[in-house]
Amino acid sequence: MMKFGPMWQATPEPGEARSLRGLVREGLRYAAVLPIVALTSGVAEVFYRLTGSARLSSIFLAGVLLAAFLLGSGPAYLAAALAFLVYMFQVDPRFQLSFGGAEDFNVLMLFLAVAGLTGLLIGRMRDEAARAKAWQRINAALLDATQEFSATSDEAAIRRSLARHIARAARGAAEVRGEETYSHTVGGPPAKGAVPAWRVRPLRAGDGAFGEAAWRPLGGPSLSEEEQTLIEILADTGAAAISRARLAAAKAEAEARARTEDLRNALLSSISHDLRTPLAAILASATSLREFDGRFDAAVRLDLADTIREEAERLDTTVANLLSMSRLEAGQLTVATSAFNVPEVVERAVARRNRGEQRAFELHIDPATPEAEGDAVLFEQAFGNVVENALRYSPAGAPIAVRVAGRGQEVVVEVTDEGPGVDPAEAERIFEKFYRSSAARGTAGTGLGLAISRGLMAGMGGRIGVRNRTDRSGLVATLSLRAAA
Amino acid sequence: MSGLRLLLVDDEPQIVRALTPALQAAGYTVEAKATGEGALAALAAEPCDAILLDLGLPDMDGKEVIARVREWSDAPIIVLSARDLESEKIAALDAGADDYVNKPVGVGELLARLRAAQRGRERRFASQARVRAGDLEIDFALRRVTIQGEEVHLTPREYDLLRVLARHAGRVVTHRQLIAAVWGPGAQVDAQFVRVLVGQLRQKVEAEPASPRLVTTEPGLGYRLAAEDEGGPP
Repeated sequence: MMKFGPMWQATPEPGEARSLRGLVREGLRYAAVLPIVALTSGVAEVFYRLTGSARLSSIFLAGVLLAAFLLGSGPAYLAAALAFLVYMFQVDPRFQLSFGGAEDFNVLMLFLAVAGLTGLLIGRMRDEAARAKAWQRINAALLDATQEFSATSDEAAIRRSLARHIARAARGAAEVRGEETYSHTVGGPPAKGAVPAWRVRPLRAGDGAFGEAAWRPLGGPSLSEEEQTLIEILADTGAAAISRARLAAAKAEAEARARTEDLRNALLSSISHDLRTPLAAILASATSLREFDGRFDAAVRLDLADTIREEAERLDTTVANLLSMSRLEAGQLTVATSAFNVPEVVERAVARRNRGEQRAFELHIDPATPEAEGDAVLFEQAFGNVVENALRYSPAGAPIAVRVAGRGQEVVVEVTDEGPGVDPAEAERIFEKFYRSSAARGTAGTGLGLAISRGLMAGMGGRIGVRNRTDRSGLVATLSLRAAA
Repeated sequence: MSGLRLLLVDDEPQIVRALTPALQAAGYTVEAKATGEGALAALAAEPCDAILLDLGLPDMDGKEVIARVREWSDAPIIVLSARDLESEKIAALDAGADDYVNKPVGVGELLARLRAAQRGRERRFASQARVRAGDLEIDFALRRVTIQGEEVHLTPREYDLLRVLARHAGRVVTHRQLIAAVWGPGAQVDAQFVRVLVGQLRQKVEAEPASPRLVTTEPGLGYRLAAEDEGGPP
């Protein structure tokens, strides 16, 4: 894009050069009358010689018509006058100019009338055609601009494009002024001579004001009325496009805000649920024991006490997860790496969950499993979340298999459930924070557990992934850690 | 054992496990359901005397359960919810729930609310002429309000307000329900007017209007007239 600057204020005379060229062209137009009249008189002479008829006026009339048609009204009058002179010269008495009577006068008037009317008619036709062509150009320019405007919602792009279109329509320089000014200049070398002043139109649409558009032609004749109109329409269309872009931007921003808000509300409500559900069970059990102690038998008392313990443990898990999440988010996870016995941690975590849920856990532990390199506390949490996930999404009573074995340089723990499994397209997404697979709709959960597991495993240099079972529906989650050297 | 049948609708097994013994000890036969559909089916199979309903069910919104129960059943519904969104509670109450309790809740309070909800139902059908709440006694037939036997003069609006609260004694009455009862259904009245009216009423009936014991505020929801609890399980 060319930047318009004050160095363009030189003083050339392109206008004069142009008008000189116009004069020459005008002169040539009149000169072209001569061969036409000459040709006409030639034809008339041949006709006279062949037929001896002196009725030659129609031939000259044809010549005048031709001149009017080809050259316009000015040259047509000249042609009429010349044709009349030649005609008078050619008819009786031949080769002398003798005007006599009304007949000759009529012929002259006829020639002039034909020249005038035809010239006028042709002129009008030409003007019409020129105007139609101008409108066509305007429409094309407008269409072009509108298409460009509507192709983007980027206000800067619209302003830049508007500057370009106005510069083209103004045959010169254009500026679209707002918080920032976009300039564009078309045409060749800097014009010399007085540069016309900026014309300005405010950019308005509806109630909004979006700055102004300014333009001035550089060289060439001043702008026609059509061109002026085109520029104004361009400016208005551009203003409307800017207004639309701003509305779209405001809408997008509002939507983004609403999405963030939704996410935060979902998180708060599920955290609230995850904290309050165990609290509710604990409070109900404790107050039951207090108010109805005498009426409960030993088994019920024990069951209520178990509920309190299990729910307190669940609460502890939730709090640990929340802490891990905020540490992972802040990048402040502390990993105390050492060699540890994976089967021991797995057995402890499973035993803790086996008390409450009446689930059959199938433990397959390879006695040759080497120790793993990692943080036993963090691994227990990561593994615990995977188990919770399996418990949550598989039918009550369905067994959950846990396999621990050494594989190559790694210790691998597999948790296999009989739940719905995962859509392969979602296999990675379920590790995203707050992501809940389509199979998980309708079950309570924060969508944090697996995300935290992945963060913890990554923090220990380990891996976690899921795949579907091949023998039946169900998910296989795999946690791997480096084996201790 | 009075053998009252209670439908406990909650998808969290530990809640069911923790509440069931106390509810049974209080004389209810507890039927637990984890889904809205299951609850509706159980209710259709056999009528029940009270419903404890969690709002966050896996298959349908708790408010929808309330609306569908209310299409044909008048059983008292107490919403049991960990949600603390006031709008949810108001919507549940306006959908036809009798009362709500926030999780976590002690069983003592839960049972008291259950009793109040049931008494409310009985009272409505028994068209009881008098209601007592502490020292306050309301005689609906005479439109007379007394405190320790001494008559209190209330404006018509104050009386209407007290009457509605007394009709639902022990249970929360939402702003919307109060406005409909005092100013008429469809009245465009700001909740602020209710607050002012309650303030006036408290000046006349409360021993210490600044710390009310009879007409208590349920923040964001409405008001509750302290129920006269006969005490103990039914």
